[in-house]
Amino acid sequence: MAQLTTNGHRVLVANLTGDSLRAISGSMVAYEGDVAFKNAGMGGGGLRAALKQKVTGESLSLMEVSGKGIVYFAVDAQDITIVELANDSMHVEASQLLALTGQIKTEVKFSGLRGASSGQGLFTTIVSGTGSVALLSAGGPLIALAVDPQYPLVVDPDAFVAHRGSLNQSFVTDVTWRSAIGGGSGEAFSLRFDGQGVVYIQPEER
Amino acid sequence: MPLELVNSKVVKSTLAPGQNVLARKGAMLYYTGDVHFIPHSMGGAASGMPSMGGVAGMAGRMMSGEHVAMMAAEGQGEVFYGHAGLYVEVIHLDGSSMLTVEADRLLVHDGYLQSSIVALTSQGGVRGAVRGAMTGQGLFTTQLTGQGSVAVLSHGGAIPLQVGPQHPQVVVDPQAYVCHIGNISVDISANVGWRDAVGRGSGEAIQLKMTGTGTVWVQASEQKF
Amino acid sequence: MGLEIHTPYTLPVNDNVPGNDYAFCVELDGQPWFTSKGAMIAYYGNVRFEPLGQTSMPAIVAARFSSPLYSNDWVLAQGQGKLILGDRGFNINSYDLDDGNLTIRASNLLAFQPTLDLKQSIVPGFLTLLGTGKFLASSNGPVMFAEPPLRIDPEALVGWADCPSPSHHFDAGWMQNFLGAARGFLGANSGEERQFDFTGAGTVLIQSSEKVLDDGHLLRHIESQTVTLGQNSLRALHNTIGSQLQQ
Repeated sequence: MAQLTTNGHRVLVANLTGDSLRAISGSMVAYEGDVAFKNAGMGGGGLRAALKQKVTGESLSLMEVSGKGIVYFAVDAQDITIVELANDSMHVEASQLLALTGQIKTEVKFSGLRGASSGQGLFTTIVSGTGSVALLSAGGPLIALAVDPQYPLVVDPDAFVAHRGSLNQSFVTDVTWRSAIGGGSGEAFSLRFDGQGVVYIQPEER
Repeated sequence: MPLELVNSKVVKSTLAPGQNVLARKGAMLYYTGDVHFIPHSMGGAASGMPSMGGVAGMAGRMMSGEHVAMMAAEGQGEVFYGHAGLYVEVIHLDGSSMLTVEADRLLVHDGYLQSSIVALTSQGGVRGAVRGAMTGQGLFTTQLTGQGSVAVLSHGGAIPLQVGPQHPQVVVDPQAYVCHIGNISVDISANVGWRDAVGRGSGEAIQLKMTGTGTVWVQASEQKF
Repeated sequence: MGLEIHTPYTLPVNDNVPGNDYAFCVELDGQPWFTSKGAMIAYYGNVRFEPLGQTSMPAIVAARFSSPLYSNDWVLAQGQGKLILGDRGFNINSYDLDDGNLTIRASNLLAFQPTLDLKQSIVPGFLTLLGTGKFLASSNGPVMFAEPPLRIDPEALVGWADCPSPSHHFDAGWMQNFLGAARGFLGANSGEERQFDFTGAGTVLIQSSEKVLDDGHLLRHIESQTVTLGQNSLRALHNTIGSQLQQ
């Protein structure tokens, strides 16, 4: 399995030894060695997955990177955090998913009516299996917040990156805290998480 | 050292008589002491400029069009430079090799470095021009030689990658290329497989192949700025 | 994997999220905080955000928040819990004022304790904080502190404490040569010739960038001033804006 590390906070380094990984199309900034780049479609699901992408509008355009060498990835100076999955799953904002190794599968799912449209609409991406997932965080390092029955969590949807565990996501319509300046396309709701798990957020509102 | 990093986005230049700097116009954040800013242009009468004083010894050139305008700073004091919240790297030249940097990624450099602006078309004809268009720098690149420090801009910070016997060929995305130093050949190529892999337009199909001996800096973003 | 997973018990009390210059955690423990709208990115606990016109603590708002122009951009955060704030990916830091006075660009002020008084400065787009208490400022790149005398690019200025308000400085050498004269005095993207000059005893807060992204507060201020202009002036302003847009 490809080894993932970071060089500083914002460059992902993959050491390929005859294997492959998937990463956001266009995110390669440099490489050395004998490496090939191919269009992986939408998470390797073939034609049906490609159709799903068209229908959902969930933008997840991956490329498959394979061979022997070192590949460097980056996206828009965003922070990168590597999370390990061990036969479990995580819900991720498609725009914040940088790379996947191993046998990790991706699936796009309807996540419920959210009212006003955000860039990602009504769908979320679920990654599952065993391997490493590289997450992007805009505006600074990713922040991991635990959720427990004793302490539920409320999150600005534009800062939400991912969640894992057994969490129940609901919508809170009190948005007095939302800014009217600059007429941002902010959501008319906040996300509330109950249950047991971890929520990942980024410092910058999308 | 005349050029010192204050934080990841700001560089401080210490000025003294005979110790000037040349910087991107508009990038001065603040200064203390007795400092004068002079637009830097071709020495000579054509522009109708009054005496340039201490900057007359510098061999830089300012051209119109795509080239970024530069300002010389001289006097006694400290000037702090930064631009658009971009990250800054300070690279020290020891006199043995030349630094090549995109004209608009240059923040500030020691005044006694020799700088020349090179039109990419003069290196490799059409392919040179294509490279320029792909890296977004238009047709100009700045070459610096001598001993001194140079501060360069990047989106997200830049990491140095060695090119040499252990790393015979480093391939770089043109948008992520910041600068390079040493005896390096830069060859543009279109990687057919790469073009397949990306649905983002033809620009992505072009890659920079670096061979030789030296260091290339690559930024933490696939978009120029 | 080194990513620390926080709980409301491990999150700091009124400090940056550990290792993160871009996110700050405020503790609400019965004591409210004034926060800029849009600053909240997450919270634990029972937190209410009250618009300043409809708050449950009108006396505090009346006493402390004296700026009708900006009151719509602020809320009073109340309750019990931990509130995490972020602002456009800017650096966030907290500062303590000790019976002091600070004038700060409105779009850089993120939150403050109601022990401080907020007033609208006569300098367009700036607010003044007086008294003793904590405030949070966000900036494009880390904040640098320097003492006068110094000259600063107006867009790099975050604020100043104790020293007199700055005055304009025009670089005489620059103004003399024909390039400067051709550009005129409007300071439109013209490099170094327009600077703020600080003297006296105090501290100047400077950000690491000369770009002020989309200053909504300054825009609001300028818009409010246009009602005082007559038809001819409005037309002249219209032309100025037109030529700015073309650059």
